[in-house]
Amino acid sequence: MSGHLIPQFLVSGITNGSIYALIALGFCLIQNATGIVNFAQGDFVMLGAMIAISLYQAANLPLPAAFVIAIFAVALIGVALQQGPIRHSRNRDILTLVMITVGASITFHGAGMLIWGKNVRTLPALGGDTPVFILGAAILPQTLWILSLSLIVLGSLHLFFHRTLLGKAVRAAADNPFGAVLIGISVRNLVALGFGLSGALGALAGILITPITSMSYEGGLMLGLKGFAGAILGGYGSTLGAVAGGLLLGILESLGAGLISSAYKDAIAFVVLLGILFLRPAGLFGSVQVRRL
Amino acid sequence: MNSNQEHADTTHLVLIPSQWRALLVLAAVLIGIPLTLQNDYFLLLFNVMALNGLVVLGLNLLIGSTGQVSLGHAAFFGIGAYLSAIASVTWQWPLLYSFIFSLASVGLVGCLLALPTLRLEGHYLVMATLGFNIIVSILLNQMDDVTGGPSGFPGIPQLSIGSFTIDSDLKFYMFIWSLFLILFALTLNLTDSRLGRALKAIHEKELTAEAMGIPSHRYKVAVFVLSAVYAGVAGFCYAHYVTFISPKTFDIFYSVQVVTMVVVGGMGSLWGGLAGTVLLTSLPEMLHQFEDWYVLIYGLILMGVLVFSPQGLVPAIASLPLFQRKTSGDKKDTGRETEPGRAKDQARHRIWTHAQTTSGNRPDAARAMPVLQLQSVSLSFGGLQALNEVSMNLSAGEIVALIGPNGAGKTTVLNIISGLLKPDRGDVLLKGKSLLGSAPHRIAALGVGRTFQTVQVYQAFSVLENALLGYHTRGGAGFVSAYCHLAGERKEEAHLRELALRLLDDFNLAPKANAPIQQLSLLEQKLLELARALALSPGILLLDEPVGGLNPRESAILVDYLQHLRERGIGTLLVEHDMNVVMRLADRVVVLQHGSRIAAGSPQEVQRDAKVIAAYLGAKK
Repeated sequence: MSGHLIPQFLVSGITNGSIYALIALGFCLIQNATGIVNFAQGDFVMLGAMIAISLYQAANLPLPAAFVIAIFAVALIGVALQQGPIRHSRNRDILTLVMITVGASITFHGAGMLIWGKNVRTLPALGGDTPVFILGAAILPQTLWILSLSLIVLGSLHLFFHRTLLGKAVRAAADNPFGAVLIGISVRNLVALGFGLSGALGALAGILITPITSMSYEGGLMLGLKGFAGAILGGYGSTLGAVAGGLLLGILESLGAGLISSAYKDAIAFVVLLGILFLRPAGLFGSVQVRRL
Repeated sequence: MNSNQEHADTTHLVLIPSQWRALLVLAAVLIGIPLTLQNDYFLLLFNVMALNGLVVLGLNLLIGSTGQVSLGHAAFFGIGAYLSAIASVTWQWPLLYSFIFSLASVGLVGCLLALPTLRLEGHYLVMATLGFNIIVSILLNQMDDVTGGPSGFPGIPQLSIGSFTIDSDLKFYMFIWSLFLILFALTLNLTDSRLGRALKAIHEKELTAEAMGIPSHRYKVAVFVLSAVYAGVAGFCYAHYVTFISPKTFDIFYSVQVVTMVVVGGMGSLWGGLAGTVLLTSLPEMLHQFEDWYVLIYGLILMGVLVFSPQGLVPAIASLPLFQRKTSGDKKDTGRETEPGRAKDQARHRIWTHAQTTSGNRPDAARAMPVLQLQSVSLSFGGLQALNEVSMNLSAGEIVALIGPNGAGKTTVLNIISGLLKPDRGDVLLKGKSLLGSAPHRIAALGVGRTFQTVQVYQAFSVLENALLGYHTRGGAGFVSAYCHLAGERKEEAHLRELALRLLDDFNLAPKANAPIQQLSLLEQKLLELARALALSPGILLLDEPVGGLNPRESAILVDYLQHLRERGIGTLLVEHDMNVVMRLADRVVVLQHGSRIAAGSPQEVQRDAKVIAAYLGAKK
C-alpha cells in the first residue's frame, strides 16, 4: 500500500541513521578509552542543541558561530565529566563508573529542565525549506547538510585515528593502557580527549537533528539510547560498526514506522537492541570476547 | 565483620533470620508510627515507602549477587500493576487469580530478558533493561484500548480477603509493612545461606565461583526473576491500593529513583537499601516547593554518593571507628598466630585424618587407569596456534608436572580441562567420559578441583566462608528452603560448617576461621585455595603455579602439603616454573613448547632431553 513511499522512508532513515551513527561513535570513543558505557551521551546531544538554540535566539549570534561555540561547550562539559566525577571516583569498579554516568545523565536532565523549561524548541533549517526531489523522494536541504557534515566528520575522524600521531596514541591507549603509559603516552589526557570528542560528536548530532525533530530537555535520553542500540547492532566498540549500525538502525526504524505503525516507532530500536543481544551479542561487525580472569 | 560469629551461634535457628533482634526493633518502630502520627498524609507517605522498599529489596538482591544493575524495575512494577488491573477489572477475575497471573507474567518476562543478557560480559543488562522499560512505557501509552492509554486505568478493586477489605490508609499500612517485614526477613535468610554465599561469590569472582561448581548463569537468572517478582508484588499492591494507575508512574525516572535508593543506602546491603528508601522517599516531602528540582537533586545525590562513598551511606557509617569496637576484639582473638610452617610436623601426622576420602580411591588399585585423558587437543586463537595435538594422561594418585617456557600453552591446557576454553579439535576424558561441551561448573562438580596462577580467594568473605564455598556442591537445599531457613537446610548448613572447620584444621587455618581474608599471608591464602579445591572431593586437581610468589621456606611447606595429595589418590596436574618443586613432586613431566608436546617422561629423563634443553636454554647451531 505504501510501497511507493519506500524511497522517502529510506531518505528519512538515512538521515536519522547518520545522527544515530554520530551518537554511536561517541559511545564507542568512551568505551574504547575507558571501558565504560557513558549514559550521559544522549544528554550531550540535548545540551548541544539547547546551547546552540540559546546562543542563536537569546544571544543573537549568527547560526554558524552558535554551532561552533555549542560544540566546544559540550566538549568541555564532556571533559569536565571525566576530570571531575569519573576521575575522582573512589571506586574504580566499572559498574560504579557506569552508574556515575547515569547520575550525570539525570543531573544534566534536571539542569536542562530548570534552565530551558519543559517546552520544545527548534532551530531554523540550514538552506531553507524547499525540498529537492530525487527518485520521488522529497529531500530537504537540511538532510543534505546532515549527510555531508556526517561524512566529513567520519572521514576526518578516520584520518585522525590512522594518520596522526595523537590519533594513533589514542588507539594504542585503548588497546593496552598500561603499555601506552610505559612508552610515555599520557593515558589520562587521552581519556579526557575521548570524553571531549564524544561530547563534541553528541553536540553536533543534536544541532543537526533539531531543525527536523526539534528538541526538549528530555529529548536526549531517547536519542542516546538509539545511538547505543546502533553501536550494539554494529558491534560494541568498533568504530566502523558504530557507523554502519547507526545507519542500519535508522533505516530499519523508518521502514518499520512507515510500513507497520508509527505509534511504535520508538519501540523498534529497542526491539532491535534486545534482538541483537539475544541472537548475536557481538553485533554485526564485532567479535566475541574471550572471558578472562 | 562480627557477623560470622553471630551466624555460627544461630545456625540452628529455623525460619528466623540471625538478625532477628534488629528486625524486632524495626517492627516495634513500625507499630509506633501510626500511633504517634495520626495523620493520613503521613500514612500515605509510609505506604509509598513500603512499596518502594519492596522494589529496592529485590533490586538490592540483584545488585548484591550479580553486580549488575537493572534500570527496568519500573517496568516490572508497572506490569505487575497493569496486568492485575486488567485481569480483575476487564476480565472480572477473582483477586487471587489476578495476583497469580500478574506475578507469573512478571517472572516470565524477567526470565526472557535475563536469559540472553546475563550471559554477556560487561554492562549490557543496564541498557537492555532500560530499553525494556522504554518499550513497556510505550506499550502502556499506546495500547489504550487495553490499558486506558495516557489517561490511565481507573476503578481497580481494593484488596480484600473474604469479607475484609483493605479500604483505609491505616489498614493498608498494616498490610503492606507486614508484607515488607516478612519478605525482608525471608531475603535476609536467603543471603545467610549456602545459596546466598554462592550469589555473593558470583558477584566478586564469577569464574572462580564456577570452578567451585556454582552454576553462575542459572543463579543469576533466578535472582533476576526473583527481583523482578518483588517489583511485581509491589506493583500489584500499589494498583489495588490507589485503585487508579497511569503510565507516568512506571517510566524510566522511577527506575532511576529506586536505583538511587539502593546506591545511597549501600549496594548489596539490605538494611542499607531500607535506609536509602526511607531517606529518598521522604526527600520530596521535605522539598515540597521545589518540585522542579527533584530530577537535578536525584542526579546529584546519585553521582555524589557514587564518587565519594561508593559503598553507600549505611556501610560507610557502620565502618566509622565508633562502631568498630567489636571487630578489634575479633582481631585479638585471631591474633594468636599459628604459623603453618611451625606446625608442619604436627600437620604431617594428622593431615587428611579429617578430610573426606575421595570416593574410596585406593592409590595402588586406581593407578592403573588414567582418570584424565587429553587426546590430540588443538586450539588456535586467530592465527596463533596455542595448542597443537597435545595428548597426555593422568592417573589417580599421580602428580604430573606440565612445564614449558612462557607462552607454551600450559594454562591453556588447564583452561580447556576446566571448560573455560573449548578446543578446536581433540577430546578431554574424565574417567572415560568426555568433558567437551560441559559448563565449567559441571566439570568442577564432576570432581575437577582447581587453583589459579594469581590466588583467587574471596576478599569479602571470612576464611571459614571461603572454605564453605568449596562445599557448595555438597549441599542440596534450594531457594525455597534457603528463603525459609527450613530445618533441613539449617541442618545441612551446620554440617557444611563442621566439614569446613575440619578442613581448615587440616591446613592449620582453623584458628583464623573467622578472620577476614586480608589477615592471611600469601602462603595461607594459597593453602586456603588448595583446601577449597579439596572440598570438592576432586578426582583430579589442577594447580597453576602453586608456589609462585612464595619464598623457599614457604614453598617447602606448600610442597609438603602437596606430597600428601598423592596418598589421597588424587591425580594432580601441576603447572610450575620452579624446577626444584617439579623434581621433588612430579612422577612424570610433560614439556610443552609453542603449543606442542616436545617431551614426556620421568623428571630425570626430561632433564636430559636435548629438545627440552634447547627449549629452555636455546640450541647450539
